[in-house]
Amino acid sequence: MKFIDALLGRVRPAASKTEALFSITTAYTTLETKLDIFHADVAGICFKIIPSTTFERLRADLGELLTLTKRETATEYKMVKDSFGYLWIVLRDKDFEDIVTTMHLISNTLIENGFGESLLSSVFKFKKRDKVIYMIYNYKSGNFYPFIPMGDGRHRDEQYELKLGTLLRNELPVERDVEKWYPMWDIPL
Amino acid sequence: MKRKEKEWYGKDMGLAVRMVLTTGLLILVYLAFLTILAQFVEFFPLLVIAAIFLFAQYYFADKLVLWSTGAKIVSREERPELHTIIERLCNLANLPKPRVAVIDTPIPNAFATGRSQKKAVVAVTTGLLSRLNNEELEGVLGHELTHIKNRDVLVITVASFLSTVAWFVMRFSFYSSLFRAGSRDRSAGAAVLIFLVSLLVWLVSFLLIRALSRYREFAADRGSAIITGNPSALISALLKISGQMKRVPSEDLREVEGMNAFFIIPAISGDTLMSLFSTHPPLEKRIERLSALERAMEGFHEIY
Repeated sequence: MKFIDALLGRVRPAASKTEALFSITTAYTTLETKLDIFHADVAGICFKIIPSTTFERLRADLGELLTLTKRETATEYKMVKDSFGYLWIVLRDKDFEDIVTTMHLISNTLIENGFGESLLSSVFKFKKRDKVIYMIYNYKSGNFYPFIPMGDGRHRDEQYELKLGTLLRNELPVERDVEKWYPMWDIPL
Repeated sequence: MKRKEKEWYGKDMGLAVRMVLTTGLLILVYLAFLTILAQFVEFFPLLVIAAIFLFAQYYFADKLVLWSTGAKIVSREERPELHTIIERLCNLANLPKPRVAVIDTPIPNAFATGRSQKKAVVAVTTGLLSRLNNEELEGVLGHELTHIKNRDVLVITVASFLSTVAWFVMRFSFYSSLFRAGSRDRSAGAAVLIFLVSLLVWLVSFLLIRALSRYREFAADRGSAIITGNPSALISALLKISGQMKRVPSEDLREVEGMNAFFIIPAISGDTLMSLFSTHPPLEKRIERLSALERAMEGFHEIY
């Protein structure tokens, strides 16, 4: 099928995978108990803004959905547009599981409305003392990878990223191709 | 997970049929050529020579094109924004990230090359970066990423294989018929015949390859619209680029003439060449198709 698509010059939109998203909850237990890494009460989901009316409606519907969720789980949300034209829904909640569940809900709403291919990533923010640690979930590969920015100079703590990647391999689907551990600077979390 | 398919993607059967038809015709022409050639000459060595020639061109595609256009590979640190835009598009479409190159010229253009997805390079000119906004840039990059995904360098190289053989045979038989012009033996007549046949094959296959190349451009535009979800941004980018192309002085244009097949907009203006010989479809047709996608995307039902 891939061969025929290439021959005919067809592009199929890539499907998003959400099943692995929940594995961050089990991985968090390990992070907390073994590595003293705690969640920073905040996470974000990032997807491409499509300039169509269907998408605008979906965005409004998501707002309503999240207001309803807030009543049940007290998960705060805000929508932020970044400089690359992607929309971030930032979720704030002390309860990590509530964040993950809401994340899953948002992703599935997008997928069900035909915007699954616009999903870029989900980012979970953690802290180990002063160090900020992000776990980034890539919707197309269904894998996670760590991202640890250091200082202002756009450097990253590659050593600890690699270490985390190895340590979490059994808890999470970790992206094996390190070249795909793309940095995400200026995450609005 | 139930998943609503977006109708506007459609399948574009028309484009697929035309591509299959062109490829089929090309194969027919080539088969006829080989059959006729086999009557007169030992063509196997020619095949080998052409194969080596084309394989080298294919194998070194990235280096050749980078060298001839003066494109420089840039690291993430040098061009963080460009890298981020490409990474995100690759992520969205689940494609491997190509290497990124920049050409220092005011002419706004972009191209993709490389023999495989791993060896692929996407290059943009500084003129393109300065004139397009991020959304337009995404449109152009989506077009180039689709070229890579569809392995267009490989497709065109394979399609050109026997055309190259015909070209070799044509040159070879021309000289050999000059040689034997005085002696009126049978082989002189045969040489003339081979010359004419290979000339015809070369011409026909040239036209077919150009047609195929134009269909690949349409496919890349379509792919870009699907990856970015924003056909209008690509239209606006194409208009900006082509408007600029007409205004730049021709000395600069001649420098980039050689690599036309890879550019998003050819550097020589279409007016001077007949559309049949062109590697790219006319701008109006590309815009027309992208507009159809835009309308379909907004739910105006007219799947192209």
